[in-house]
Amino acid sequence: MKLLTRYNRATIAITTIIMLVAGIAYYFTITTILSKQVDKALEVEEHEVHDFVLLNRKLPQVFRTNHQTILFAPANSPGKRKFVDTVYRDIKDDELEPARALYTFVKVEDKYYRVIVVQSKVENEDLIKVIFMITLGLIAGLLVALFFLNRVILSSLWKPFYKVLGQLKSFNLAENSSIQNVHSNIDEFRELDTAVNLMADRVKDDYFALKSFTENASHELMTPISVINSKLDTFVQTGEFSDQQSKLLNDIYSSVSKLTRLNKSLLLLAKIENRLIADKQDLNLKILIEELLNQLDDLVAGRQLVVEARLYDKPIKASLLLMEVLISNLISNAIRHNKPGGFISIELNHLKLKVSNSGVAGKLNMQDMFRRFQKSASSDGIGLGLTISKQICDTYGFNFEYVFLNEVHHFIVTFAP
Amino acid sequence: MKLLVIEDEAGLRESIEAYFTEEGSVCETASDYNSAIAKVNLYRYDCIILDITLPNGSGLDILKYLKVEQHTDGILIISAKNSLDDRLNGLDLGADDYLTKPFHLSELRARVAAIVRRKSFGGNNRLKFNEIDIDLNAREVNVNLSPIKLTPKEYALLLYFLANKGKVVSKNAIAEHLWGDSIDIADNFDFIYSHIKNLRKKIIEAGGNDYIQAAYGMGYKFIGA
Repeated sequence: MKLLTRYNRATIAITTIIMLVAGIAYYFTITTILSKQVDKALEVEEHEVHDFVLLNRKLPQVFRTNHQTILFAPANSPGKRKFVDTVYRDIKDDELEPARALYTFVKVEDKYYRVIVVQSKVENEDLIKVIFMITLGLIAGLLVALFFLNRVILSSLWKPFYKVLGQLKSFNLAENSSIQNVHSNIDEFRELDTAVNLMADRVKDDYFALKSFTENASHELMTPISVINSKLDTFVQTGEFSDQQSKLLNDIYSSVSKLTRLNKSLLLLAKIENRLIADKQDLNLKILIEELLNQLDDLVAGRQLVVEARLYDKPIKASLLLMEVLISNLISNAIRHNKPGGFISIELNHLKLKVSNSGVAGKLNMQDMFRRFQKSASSDGIGLGLTISKQICDTYGFNFEYVFLNEVHHFIVTFAP
Repeated sequence: MKLLVIEDEAGLRESIEAYFTEEGSVCETASDYNSAIAKVNLYRYDCIILDITLPNGSGLDILKYLKVEQHTDGILIISAKNSLDDRLNGLDLGADDYLTKPFHLSELRARVAAIVRRKSFGGNNRLKFNEIDIDLNAREVNVNLSPIKLTPKEYALLLYFLANKGKVVSKNAIAEHLWGDSIDIADNFDFIYSHIKNLRKKIIEAGGNDYIQAAYGMGYKFIGA
């Protein structure tokens, strides 16, 4: 739920309740006050009747106005004096109207009379109606005003907040751009902005420290690996070896070369992420792919793979190294994760490069795929190939996607327009 | 062949020295900037193997110094920094080749041999070994004066063996030389065997000697005599 909706809901609900309660209280207060006033008028009439009787020793003439009537009726004994709500028949309109009556008694000579003074309340009712309408109007007006006011206040007041939020959403660790300061004269937003900036800087620092650690560690490792490698090369010159010794030496060789490749991949990844590979030259991907396929001939043949290539010229301005790595990773994967006698299809046109292959495993998990060192159990690779490919695509603004259709894996690179 | 190895890592320096030292070749070494400058001031070399990161100086400065002094020694940079900038810098400054650590000694030797060949023969590049005669420009191989037709891989293999005559070259080194990084897809190196078998066959059919021997399952050795 949006802040505005939530805020509107709360303020409008509370305002409505308060206005309703106030309206009701208002209604009862006014009704009480008005009926007290009517009662007073009735009492005045009562006094007049009493005064008249005292002075003239007879009942006054019965009279009747449009809003008031006084009636006399003989009574046996004085009863209780009381005010009651009643109805009154209007003379003009001949309609029943709400009215207030006072029952009282008067003694003329020795006889008691009951006096009923009735006064219409229709004017009061009208007044209350008007007041009620005005109150309703006020409530409606206030609600509309609140609704728009909230909207305006929230969208202008909270602007810095949404700016910070937008920046957080588009925050990318690997990019070098930092979060912009958002200016606001509201303390909370200033604090938020400062906190976000501090956090972003700290996270970036940590990330860069980690990356430079990876890079430095890989660099430092290269020297001992070179020494091992050269010592091995020297060692194999020293004499005759038994089968067992040769096997051990071969295993060491292949482990060292795997270590080398791992190290190189880590270095390459660090470089791509740091945007350290900036060279650009005019290349034709078609030629690169053809050269690579030529080179991989033996490996493809060794697995009895069928390769179909539908290649059109794709001139591109990019780093030769990165394009070679991208193509080689995609095609190597298609070879490595294939089944004996399977197929590889490579399509290249000016829009996209698609490498498809039959495979043994089912659909790969998209999320895990680009994670570092994520690899299938059967793979001898080091699990950085797809991560590097994705990074290269990101660098050049290519879209990199994976589709699994009819038991065939497709890796599709869509070039930037 | 006279070489200078400028490398601060003792283990690597000694291995290179041992691998290159043989009859007819001299391999000198330097372990830091100052001793390297002293050596290049005094002597000329067919090829200088130059590490970039050195104690109290950079290999690139030595390279600049050599160019300023207009020495024509062949220069091969070896560096742990697989950085494109270093590579381009080095080649721009006039280095002949660039090799990233770690490398196989056989690869280093093949590269050095190529540099020395280019330097000493000028444009007319022919490599002769007994009855095998190679025109490096035309990439043509003659055995006993009759041409043999080699595939690009067989040709590269032959040059590689010739540069490493008398040494055991591991299958691993051969594979990396011929297939580069994509070799990690391979489960085994059986396909190397078929290339070597074909190369041997072609040389023998043309009346050449059988120079290539398998070396205890480790790799191969080109008998140089």
